[in-house]
Amino acid sequence: MSAPETAGGAGSPLRAVIETIVRALVDQPDAVTVTESVRRGVSVLELRTAPGDMGKIIGRQGRTATALRTLLAVTAERHGTRAQLDIKD
Amino acid sequence: MALTTEIAGFVQQVVTAMGLALTTTIEEGPDGTCVNLEGEDGGVLVRRGGEGLQALQHVVATTFRRQLGEDTRITVDCNGFRKDKDAELRQMARHMAEKAKTSGMPQEMGPLNPYERRIVHLAIAEDPGATSESIGDAVMKTVIISTK
Repeated sequence: MSAPETAGGAGSPLRAVIETIVRALVDQPDAVTVTESVRRGVSVLELRTAPGDMGKIIGRQGRTATALRTLLAVTAERHGTRAQLDIKD
Repeated sequence: MALTTEIAGFVQQVVTAMGLALTTTIEEGPDGTCVNLEGEDGGVLVRRGGEGLQALQHVVATTFRRQLGEDTRITVDCNGFRKDKDAELRQMARHMAEKAKTSGMPQEMGPLNPYERRIVHLAIAEDPGATSESIGDAVMKTVIISTK
């Protein structure tokens, strides 16, 4: 894979939103990493957690993952961009 | 209570991270704790039927579920959006109960999410002549309102 164009940096609101919520949800907040890149004008956020915390992020019937994506979309809309969340296992 | 302060702090942290200038207040009601968000930036949360607000509430409830316990309910509102919507839902439920009584036919409402169904069931429970039940097996279910 070629190195994607990086965006946002430490102060990115998109990353901040996902990190804030996910760290509160999991048992191992220190194992949470979120990387941000831009592909075709869309910010792509890749989320990784400790393997045991994956279920908490997804939730029953994927409800928590859906909620995360909704809040990410609202944040992106607020900042005039579009974003996508990839949960990596 | 220290926990409600912690919850309000978390909600404030999330909306601030989202870039929204909103102030958080806590309201202890008979139906549990309500975190109120106020401010002009609330518009993006209540758009598309309050999708963002619902997502925020789900995240807050999931995060604090263990500390809250089963019978403590937490809701997140923004500029009175949920309060107005809940009142509308109650009114609709009562209207459907009347319609079920006059027509003799069961009336359908929904599909509704668990939070909305609870409001409908509670409104119908106050009516001695009507009864309600949920059908379906997903998160969203239809509520059937019929005469007793």
